[in-house]
Amino acid sequence: MRTIKDRYAIVGVGESERSRKSGTTPLHLALDAANAAIKDAGLKATDIDGFMNYNEGDSCTSHQLATYLGVRPKYVKDIQGGGASTEMLIADAVALIEAGQLNTVLIYRSMNGSSGTRVGRGYDPDMLQGALAGGSFVIPYGSASPSQWFGMYATRHMHETGITKEHLGHVCLSFYEHAQRNPKAFLHGKPLTMENYLATPDISSPFNIHDSCLELDEGNAIIVTSAEKAEDCTSKPVYIMGMAARQCHPHAHYWNDIDHVASDYVAKELYENAGVTPDDIDVASIYDCFSWVVMRQLEAYGFAKRGEVGEFVAEGNLKIGGKLPTNTAGGMLSEGYTHGMNNAIEIVRQLRHDYDGTARQVEDCKIGICTGWAGPDIAGAMILRN
Amino acid sequence: MTQSTTAYQKPIPLKDIDNAPYWDAADQHQLALQKCDDCNAYSQPPGPTCAKCGSENVSWEQFGDDITATVYSYVVSYRPFLPGFQDELPTIIALAQLDKVPEVKIMGNILNCQEKDLEIGMPIQMTWVDITEDRALPQWIPATN
Ligand SMILES: [Zn+2]
Repeated sequence: MRTIKDRYAIVGVGESERSRKSGTTPLHLALDAANAAIKDAGLKATDIDGFMNYNEGDSCTSHQLATYLGVRPKYVKDIQGGGASTEMLIADAVALIEAGQLNTVLIYRSMNGSSGTRVGRGYDPDMLQGALAGGSFVIPYGSASPSQWFGMYATRHMHETGITKEHLGHVCLSFYEHAQRNPKAFLHGKPLTMENYLATPDISSPFNIHDSCLELDEGNAIIVTSAEKAEDCTSKPVYIMGMAARQCHPHAHYWNDIDHVASDYVAKELYENAGVTPDDIDVASIYDCFSWVVMRQLEAYGFAKRGEVGEFVAEGNLKIGGKLPTNTAGGMLSEGYTHGMNNAIEIVRQLRHDYDGTARQVEDCKIGICTGWAGPDIAGAMILRN
Repeated sequence: MTQSTTAYQKPIPLKDIDNAPYWDAADQHQLALQKCDDCNAYSQPPGPTCAKCGSENVSWEQFGDDITATVYSYVVSYRPFLPGFQDELPTIIALAQLDKVPEVKIMGNILNCQEKDLEIGMPIQMTWVDITEDRALPQWIPATN
């Protein structure tokens, strides 16, 4: 089989305004994001023949978006998803273009994540008992929020590897520092100190509000096309070197074995597909629904050895200027939250050197990684280059 | 053992065709675990077949009511994420590693436990809380000896 390495590119990225209360619908936010991405690519809306989205029943459909862009697409796809869906849909788009079905695909995530449905507040208990594998062994005990589900993994992992609350704080401080350089970050102008971080009470251990992603109203969009078609765009293409994903765990009820996460299995395949190693990565977007989720992935993707991740982040390596500048727009902890797409947009902008001449640019960066995590059972990641 | 005095507000475990023997045993203040007759793996939570090998030859093993374990992991929640927990904060939610079957971990709350005393590895004992007239919920308390 032919490898897809360097034969597909992200040619446009864009976002809507982000706020606590958009006062509008996800369709409007999606239109704003899509138009921004189309303009960024230098395309016309009608150049796009495929539209894809991931949602939790909280968005508009791809068909609606295409309709109101004035496009009659060949293909639409809406999946239930969240973390890692950006990477997986990009893989789907590449596959459909490779199969000769489509030319150019727009992928978006649009949600009123603050004024509409709020993930962090938990879900309907009876729905969850049925929807989660083994849900009746979890929900009756009060565990209904991702912070509690992933927290169970975090406590054990931190115990085994020596990661402390202060280490988690370094993840937060690094991303908040990046947000101070990004006027569009939701927490721009709200820096965080270690003293404040450590003084903030936990909501559910080991996580306080700073360890937890934002919940906002926002739309994001990304346009994928072939390397040949990318030549027709006005933007600088960012090429896809490799992708990998995994949607399983040793048990569908993932608390059955909290020592494994799907990211552990994705990393090897990802680096093989891309033909690079962790040492080759200049800039990173690591899925950050919670601070510890970043730590666990730094281990999984080989950026620091198990047991040394705490020290790695405490040394400032996630900051611009560190060994692995990560979530350089502020990430989901402090920029915005669209289940990962905002992090993917940022890695594209870094690799295009959109910020050249400013403190936001990771100097000389050529290769970047973007990871997704929907939970211990679902991971997807891609490696990109300029 | 705790007897509920007011109407129980928290979610009650939903029995289904696969997990009913576990919850039926719990209602009798007993622990039962599903086990594969082919590969000998325990399936917790139980399912239609063995989660390890897919075999349909699964049966139930009774463990009685003297169930000891240690804390494998835990979270302490200071906010209620479900109805009924608002009056019992903070809530300790733990994964208990069974002494007799260490590969089996069972989630539950640790009752009668101060947060400051909570740690990974601490010995705990299963207890059953009668939550309605005919239902009981397996829970954990710190081991006394
Ligand atoms: Zn078996």
